[in-house]
Amino acid sequence: MPRVVRSREEFEGEIFESLVLVEGKDLPVHPAGTEFNEIAKSRRRIDGQQRVTGRAKYTQDVYLPGMLHVRVLRSPYPRARVRRIDTKKAEKLAGVRDVLHRFNAPKAAFRGEETIFREEVRFVGDEVAAVAADDEQSAVEALRMIEVDYELLPHVVDLEEAIGDVAPRLETDGNVAEAATHKRGDAKRGLKEADFVIDATYRTSTQLHNSLETHGAVASWDGEQLTVYESTQHAFGVRQGLRTALKLPFSKIRVLCDYMGGGFGSKGGVGKYSIIASMFSMRLGRPVRCVLTREEENLAAGNRSATLQQLRIGGKAGRITALEHTSWANVGQGKWVANPTGPTNTLYDIANLSSKSYKVVTNAGSLSAFRAPGYVEGTFALESAIDELADKMGVDPLALRRKHAASPKDPMVGKRYSDKHLIECYRIGAAEIGWQRRRSGGIRGSAPHRRRGIGMATQIWGGGGGPPAYATVHVNPDGTVVLTTGSQDIGTGTRTILAQICADELGVELDDVQVRLGDTDNPYGPISAGSLTTASVGPAVRIAARDAKEQLLGAAAGVLETPKAELRLEAGVVVTKGARTPLSEILGRVDNNTVIGKGGRHPNDPELSLRTFGAHFAEVEVDVRTGEITVEHVVAVHDIGRIINPMTARSQVEGGVLQALGFALSEERFLDRATGRVMNANLENYKVPTVKDVPAKITVKFVDRPDRRANNLGAKGLGEPPIIPTAAAIANAVANATGARVRHAPLTRARVLEALAIAEAKS
Amino acid sequence: MNAFSYARPRALAEALRLLRNGAMALAGGTDLIGLMKDGLTHPESLVDLTGIEGLRGWSHPKGRGLRIGALTPLVELETSDVLGKTLPILRESLREAATVQLRTMGTVGGNLLQRNRCWYFRDEGTVCWLKGGNRCFAIDGENRYHAILGAQDCVIVSPSDLVPALIAYDAEIALTSSRGTRRMKLADLFITPRGRERREHALRPGELITEVRVPEAALSRRGTYLKAMDRKAWSFALVSVAAAARIERGVARDVRIVMGGVAPVPWRVIAAEKGLEGSTLDDASCADAADRLLAGATPLRDNGYKVTLARELVRRALRSLTA
Amino acid sequence: MLRGPGATDVALTVNGEHLTVRAAPRRTVLDTLRETLGLTGTKKVCDEGTCGACTVLVDGGPVYSCMTLAVACEGKSIETIEGIAKDGELHPVQRAFIDADAFQCGFCTPGQIMSIVALLRENASPTEDDVRRAVAGNLCRCGAYPNIVKAGVSAGKRQK
Ligand SMILES: Cc1cc2nc3c(=O)[nH]c(=O)nc-3n(C[C@H](O)[C@H](O)[C@H](O)COP(=O)(O)OP(=O)(O)OC[C@H]3O[C@@H](n4cnc5c(N)ncnc54)[C@H](O)[C@@H]3O)c2cc1C
Ligand code: SF4
Ligand code: FES
Ligand code: FES
Repeated sequence: MPRVVRSREEFEGEIFESLVLVEGKDLPVHPAGTEFNEIAKSRRRIDGQQRVTGRAKYTQDVYLPGMLHVRVLRSPYPRARVRRIDTKKAEKLAGVRDVLHRFNAPKAAFRGEETIFREEVRFVGDEVAAVAADDEQSAVEALRMIEVDYELLPHVVDLEEAIGDVAPRLETDGNVAEAATHKRGDAKRGLKEADFVIDATYRTSTQLHNSLETHGAVASWDGEQLTVYESTQHAFGVRQGLRTALKLPFSKIRVLCDYMGGGFGSKGGVGKYSIIASMFSMRLGRPVRCVLTREEENLAAGNRSATLQQLRIGGKAGRITALEHTSWANVGQGKWVANPTGPTNTLYDIANLSSKSYKVVTNAGSLSAFRAPGYVEGTFALESAIDELADKMGVDPLALRRKHAASPKDPMVGKRYSDKHLIECYRIGAAEIGWQRRRSGGIRGSAPHRRRGIGMATQIWGGGGGPPAYATVHVNPDGTVVLTTGSQDIGTGTRTILAQICADELGVELDDVQVRLGDTDNPYGPISAGSLTTASVGPAVRIAARDAKEQLLGAAAGVLETPKAELRLEAGVVVTKGARTPLSEILGRVDNNTVIGKGGRHPNDPELSLRTFGAHFAEVEVDVRTGEITVEHVVAVHDIGRIINPMTARSQVEGGVLQALGFALSEERFLDRATGRVMNANLENYKVPTVKDVPAKITVKFVDRPDRRANNLGAKGLGEPPIIPTAAAIANAVANATGARVRHAPLTRARVLEALAIAEAKS
Repeated sequence: MNAFSYARPRALAEALRLLRNGAMALAGGTDLIGLMKDGLTHPESLVDLTGIEGLRGWSHPKGRGLRIGALTPLVELETSDVLGKTLPILRESLREAATVQLRTMGTVGGNLLQRNRCWYFRDEGTVCWLKGGNRCFAIDGENRYHAILGAQDCVIVSPSDLVPALIAYDAEIALTSSRGTRRMKLADLFITPRGRERREHALRPGELITEVRVPEAALSRRGTYLKAMDRKAWSFALVSVAAAARIERGVARDVRIVMGGVAPVPWRVIAAEKGLEGSTLDDASCADAADRLLAGATPLRDNGYKVTLARELVRRALRSLTA
Repeated sequence: MLRGPGATDVALTVNGEHLTVRAAPRRTVLDTLRETLGLTGTKKVCDEGTCGACTVLVDGGPVYSCMTLAVACEGKSIETIEGIAKDGELHPVQRAFIDADAFQCGFCTPGQIMSIVALLRENASPTEDDVRRAVAGNLCRCGAYPNIVKAGVSAGKRQK
């Protein structure tokens, strides 16, 4: 019987309490010394063939018969009132089927507003109208023929301008709103008592996700049922959004996402494009495709907020006495703010602490979650400041961290961690990078004008996952298996990992398991974000597989006329004392049948704090005359519980490190303040790392001890941890190498040269 | 992209005839198609030059200089081992230019004639001075990639990697139209947009570049090409420097220093080059030349770093000639 | 002879098959492959020559199909990700990608593979640096680069 229980989960740094439906009892975590067949083994991705042959169908690749194409007219102004729209000419163009805008579109609730097309457009790229046409080219041409009468309004796009007094007020209560605060001890006094104080301002620029597959949807209304193919991290979230917007019952909406070309947090729910495509489809009775262009992606599909952060940090007698952190983040037109003070509040056991996070609205595109939102920005500032303090105190920055990193308790909520091996991460990382080679002031590089340095930074993140998450395991009469869940594989290897867990628990070959996901007709699967998929869906899969196995063994007992207790299932073979019978043979002996195992994720222990920990170490070389940084070696060490698939886990870490490298060195959105336009909404001038930017060496290490209190697999998530500490580790290495402290990420040549000039003037 | 008609003639004469009626030349298309997609140019027809016999490939007739057909794909210059010995700077400059794909598509002529990458220019929604508007948005806008030298109404920078390298070897070009052929120094192809000249190239309507020629005398120079980017590949130069000189018994003759990415045109200062005549290219004289090259720099809000960068690259490039 | 601006017949060889497609001069090879021929393995990411996801081989050379006009490929041979596996056998580069875990989301993968296929034809045993140069024009946002480089080198070894 299903029953309702209270649960407490963390998602992207926030704690949520909820009621969840569970059934039966959870499985105990595998006993120490368990010999796994699939878990903890490097396995090739089970969908590899599809991906390397081009057969994998992504949302972009869905072409349905009779499909119309949508293009969206977007505001060229950062703030304006849409007074009048004339679509007559556009409607007359051959191939144009329909135009939607604020004067004719049906009401549709979206993120707290009642309409898709606002009266007051609030950023360059805000939706003004949409055209559906037989082909994309006609839709593009139609956009040029729509006449819009805009009344321009005063705007502000820059974070620091928006905070200031002269900026136009975009909300009645001002542009700045307090979003989170935390206090423990007495930071003011702690700072006063300190012998050394660092008081510094850090900045991080806006980072754009630039998933290679842009946001997009294909909607098809057949008169009864709406089917939406969407490139998403959360099919069920899209369904929820469509229901809210279109007022359809769940039963009439099906959202599908088979293959997905990256999201990094930005594809967490329904987008305006999916609602627009659905509206057109429902009006016209034809399938409708709305896939964003690269430019639209970079204007209107989210970003990591730019931040301004002030840190005050005090030290005395080799310890940190107090920490004050205030952050302002440019959320554009976003309704929430990621919290850069998250790591400050939770990472170190510091007695006197005070933090505040402010949300600042501007006339720029909304933020959306971006791989460890807030934590990447905050860790850059926090971990830079700690190094600055260590430097001032004349102590080793790793030694200083060690003093505050050993506590088994979450300093913010006071609960015990389910598990924690941060000190072990430090030990492994220091050995791998050769921390003992680090000299204050750096070491000589490979040429006279090149300096070398080593730096490190720490990471904390959630990743414990939690309910709700469900899975079913169908076993066919030939012994093959179909695992079904609503989760999605966004490139993290979810399909493969879930198949491993299923095969391992069930006792079948990996090749015999098919995984079906990305479908709201499947059992509920959570958002693929926040590093929670493995730890949320994995345990449910294991339970479902166990349930199926029990039924299979029951069936085998009947067929073989042997007590169930004497049977085992291994690699698709039922083993008894002395006999081995393939599962297919056993099931073949009964009439057509389907064995269905069910599983759901059980709640976390509310008395525990579930976290992942890690440390990155970087060795860099800096050309002190040209400001060029070359990252030579990154060591990434993570404590994320049990590793299900070492090969894909390693890939995940490398990917995180490389995305962080972009944040650290080259990625930055440029907005023209006067016009509010994004100058680099493209991949030419928004510079994501290329293959040549990859450090000569990336060493990936895992503590790899199951977190026995986390869930029945002892595994936690790995999506975000590897992007969190890299930028600070690099900035610290640069400072170590050159004495120049760059307090603004990315560390472009301009900033490095400026910091070098300041450092030179001081010395 | 607007609709247009298309032809792929086999003979130069036919191409020239087609070009008389307002058609545009298409070579690799890597720049032109981009401009058309961005709605910045709307040709009624395109004349694809890649089918014309005789405009592709290179030759080095004894003693008569190196000739490179304008339609030669960049990748051919980069991968030819013979050229790698005859004029190594070609390979050096092209290796970091764009990507293998773009160098496979892109041609020499197209590279010389590619338009600037100013992001206001490339933004269809911004009508800046160069596009006939009344102001330059970059001068007091986002200008970290813009000019520090030699600009007036418009602060674009010369984007090509190949151009500084070729100019350092005194390259000339041949231009052909239905009225005949003319030759000019490659350096003279580039125009600083100012006053009534809202353009970047001295090409006349209906004219084609058919060939680039490097004089024999220049081929004995040593050369170096350095490029600074803001990531390690696939970026236009923040600053680039081509330096070349004939080294005679340890001293430099015929010194050329050409910078890309710093001015609307490839940037040279003749006095700085003259000043190095007969020099051993020691630290002090290289630094001095670098200072002279940057003497007139007027950085904007965000591009002051280019001055430091350019000075250092010039110094290094010169130093490497005798190293 | 001027063709267009409307659709005209263009004779192409795609993955070894001779065919004629109707395409206006402004139609790119990328759109022709994806929309006219249903070959959606080649991806559209930027549509302006800045990412490499649309890389295909034209007469053996790697190009961005989003910046190449279909009419300009009249009489030429185009190879795409769908055409490199032969008789149901994966191409060595494809196998190497699976073995080295050289993709995550897989969206850049067809382009990466085509760039390496082109490289291997010129250089049967590329070094890591050769592979890096070959895929420097193929962005991977997931950061699968280290494994892509490994896959490229090992594909070279495997081919022999
Ligand atoms: C993302 C990206 C990055 C790049 N990075 C670099 C870089 O780092 N360094 C660099 O040097 N370049 C770079 N480029 C530019 C690239 O090298 C040029 O676009 C290319 O060389 C142009 O050659 P094409 O044959 O494709 O020219 P096209 O685009 O075909 O033509 C360009 C222009 O020249 C005209 N034209 C072409 N040939 C002739 C001729 N023979 N006679 C008269 N007119 C002619 C055309 O009408 C058109 O106006 C980059 C381009 C892109 C898109
Ligand atoms: S630099 Fe030139 S192209 Fe750029 S905005 Fe100014 S006038 Fe226009
Ligand atoms: S889609 Fe062609 S290069 Fe990006
Ligand atoms: S694998 Fe996702 S972009 Fe390369």
